[in-house]
Amino acid sequence: MRKALGLVVGLLLFAGLALAAVPKDTYVYMTYGDIDTLDPAQAYDTASLQIIENVYETLFTYKKDSLTEYEPLLATRYEIKDGGQTYIFHLRKGVQFHSGNPMTCRDAEYSFERILVTNPGDGPGWFFAESLIGYDSNAKSALGENASPAEYEKYWQLIDKSVECDDLYTLRFTLVKPDPTFFAKLLYAGAAIVDSKWAIEHGEWSGTKKDWLDWAGKDLRQSYLHQHVSGTGPYKLVKWDGESVVAEAFDKYWGKKPAIKKVLIQIVKEQATRIEALKRGDADRVTVNDWATLESQIRGLPGVKIWSDPNWARAAAGVIFFNFKVEGKDNPYLGKTTPRDLFGDVNVRKAFAHLVDQDALIEELFLGHGVKYTMALPPSFLGYDPTIPIYEFDPDKAEMYFKKAFGGKLWQEGFEVTITYNQGNTFRQTVAEMLKANVEEINPKFRVNVRGLQWPDYLRSARNKMLPIWPLGWVADYADPDNFIHPFYHSKGALAKRQNLNIPELDKLVEEARATVDPKKRAEIYKRIGRLAHDLAVNVPLPAQQAFIVTRDNLKGVYYNPMRSGTFLWKDISKE
Amino acid sequence: MLTYAIRRLLQLPIVLFVVSVVIVGLLQFLPPSSRAAAYVKSEQQLAHLDEIIKQYNLDAPFYVQYWTWLKNALHGNLGFSRVDKKPVLESIATRLPVSAELVLYAFLPTLLFSIWLGTLAAIHRDKFLDQLIRVMAVIFWSLPTFVLGIALVAVVYGYFKLFGIGRLPPELYIQLSQQEAAGQFHFYTGLLTLDGLLNGRLDVTLAALKHLVLPTITLVLVLGAQIVRVMRSSMLDELGKDYVRTARAKGLPEKVVYYKHARRNALIPVITLAGLMFAFMLNGVVITETIFNLPGLGQWAANAALQLDQPSILGFALFTAFIVALANIAVDLLYALVDPRIRYE
Repeated sequence: MRKALGLVVGLLLFAGLALAAVPKDTYVYMTYGDIDTLDPAQAYDTASLQIIENVYETLFTYKKDSLTEYEPLLATRYEIKDGGQTYIFHLRKGVQFHSGNPMTCRDAEYSFERILVTNPGDGPGWFFAESLIGYDSNAKSALGENASPAEYEKYWQLIDKSVECDDLYTLRFTLVKPDPTFFAKLLYAGAAIVDSKWAIEHGEWSGTKKDWLDWAGKDLRQSYLHQHVSGTGPYKLVKWDGESVVAEAFDKYWGKKPAIKKVLIQIVKEQATRIEALKRGDADRVTVNDWATLESQIRGLPGVKIWSDPNWARAAAGVIFFNFKVEGKDNPYLGKTTPRDLFGDVNVRKAFAHLVDQDALIEELFLGHGVKYTMALPPSFLGYDPTIPIYEFDPDKAEMYFKKAFGGKLWQEGFEVTITYNQGNTFRQTVAEMLKANVEEINPKFRVNVRGLQWPDYLRSARNKMLPIWPLGWVADYADPDNFIHPFYHSKGALAKRQNLNIPELDKLVEEARATVDPKKRAEIYKRIGRLAHDLAVNVPLPAQQAFIVTRDNLKGVYYNPMRSGTFLWKDISKE
Repeated sequence: MLTYAIRRLLQLPIVLFVVSVVIVGLLQFLPPSSRAAAYVKSEQQLAHLDEIIKQYNLDAPFYVQYWTWLKNALHGNLGFSRVDKKPVLESIATRLPVSAELVLYAFLPTLLFSIWLGTLAAIHRDKFLDQLIRVMAVIFWSLPTFVLGIALVAVVYGYFKLFGIGRLPPELYIQLSQQEAAGQFHFYTGLLTLDGLLNGRLDVTLAALKHLVLPTITLVLVLGAQIVRVMRSSMLDELGKDYVRTARAKGLPEKVVYYKHARRNALIPVITLAGLMFAFMLNGVVITETIFNLPGLGQWAANAALQLDQPSILGFALFTAFIVALANIAVDLLYALVDPRIRYE
């Protein structure tokens, strides 16, 4: 019996030892995010962009993990003229697409015009259109379906004139007005140069006026570039079956040949499965959801490495939003007798701000690995002011403010309000539950409910400005403060408009910053915005968790650039 | 029998029509901004919600939306699957083989194994073997699939380093993708164990089989437990009937009484259950697929439902209705085969 048992154990051990890990020239990354599309003009999510940033290339890019230093890719140098209204890029010669076609200015012109022409509502085109033609949506959406031919013609002229080739290797952008954010936008992985000849051959937009309107606002997931890639990047797409992506090194790449020759990005939804695959060596890198899992299940595993640094933070910001005037008939998120402008009173906002225990959040959720924010801007961005105070956790002060609110009426009569979060987001759920506990403890007449919303319900309620108070975050599209300041602090900002925010002084400052080219002056304006927003408690900036990467310990060259969807490029890594 | 089958098949289009109207109708109860969920992924896109609603025609009235869908469906175009980023038919075509391969290896063993155990339990009623089988059946029936699945992944795959997750080992998957692109490997059926053989690649077949072991064990244990219970009670019913007593009185050996007489009749409820189970498995077993990372129909449908992806939900529902109808017909026909008293005119 003993012998038999020994034999079985021996066999099992042998099966384990006989197993080889992923080969040295191959990189396998298991993560959970569904890839939406491979078309640079449509891609607007990290899962898609982490493929695009390796198979396509932009004109310039970030230097390794820096957000302030850039290096040339498909352009070799650039000039800014006319006080910041004209950008001229000198393109690299001798670059080939995966199809074998040579890359010229025609391809660059086609790529940017294609973004402006198609600009689907759920794509990233709006921020290029804003700078280049002064609209933030495609022609059909901006002018309406029934616009006159002359109006459409004018729109086409704007597109046509904004991107031009001076010669075969010189690209000229003409902006509607000087825009200090434009260069940062060109670093977005979706600002990639596509193979125009090959795309047109396969039925994409012809690149001319002939069929441009047919492509306005089109869902690009149903055209050729959605699933097929001919870029100039160091990697060539082999297969994307809607789930996993297989890529191989492009042997005619203009730059340095990468050490990793084969790549598999595998979508594995179940975290436990990903972790087991990492342990076993079937994956070189896996996505781990949080610090708690990291500490309890990953740390100390043989052959596994955790990369982290206190300075690593995502290029993101999250806050608690207050709705200054809640809308919607029979609003389920507000008590019947509670005033709709509950958060219109600065005292209520400050009271809530004093009830967010930031230290407890960092300690409990991030096991101490967290970063506090003074304003809704990533600390690594221009204009961030670390000296702005943060509302400290102080129930006494909160009580004082509550007593002042609505001339003391609120303290007498109480209120009922529902904090909502998108279901599945444990961080936001914890923030909401913490506020509930802390607010209700102050006065038994205060009632706070917490409700997780499914994404569809969330969309509907947010659009109708029905939510009174909700924690929410935003990840940078491009590394410029305007990408945060406008949505968070301007009355027309994508997020702030849902809270019916209307503070003319803030609007004025945000607009002033947009028109300022000098970075120093801009930074000053942003700091003033941050301070004013703090004084008025327009929102409560929330802490963020320190980022980390989990890999096998033989992976080298790993770095963290928050603007890279995959945090590093495949071409920069190797295996021992 | 044939006319019966044809008559049943002719009812199918009506079923499909009703199913599609009900689903499109139900989705209309949600406002367009909720139905935009399949298109809007991030806070950023929220800013363009109205534009997105317009772009995808989400605010059109019910009949317009339904008519557009029906017109396309009749032309063989079931629309575009938002969650899968490809046409619905293509989604079904690529995901069905994944689910089908699992069914192929899990269904028959589940059935045979549990019929055998159920019979055994009934024959040894109240003895130790019966008690053991019953306890095990209750345990596996009540054990959540994800617990069993994750336990298998952690212990067998993770700790003992046996078998695999996904459909193939990463290196082999990369290699096949490259060979497919170069025209050196063809996915004829999408069933990897079969395609391996058709391409003369035994290594692919063996690797695929190895990766099917754990999900198959999960399904056999969880689904088999139900059949064991049904089989046991049905067998006990039969054993108490007059014809069994008569058979025994005639002096027939116990084996013949059990296996030739009683078991045959006891199979009727099991066939009903098995038919439903077959359809259920073919439609994808969400949790098993998720844990073992098999991109089958179940994962797709669950995603589509969460994101209100109308074309996908419709495509999946129609496919399900189709499979369930076929399974029902097959079950009816099997009844006649098992029990000669049942005839269809």
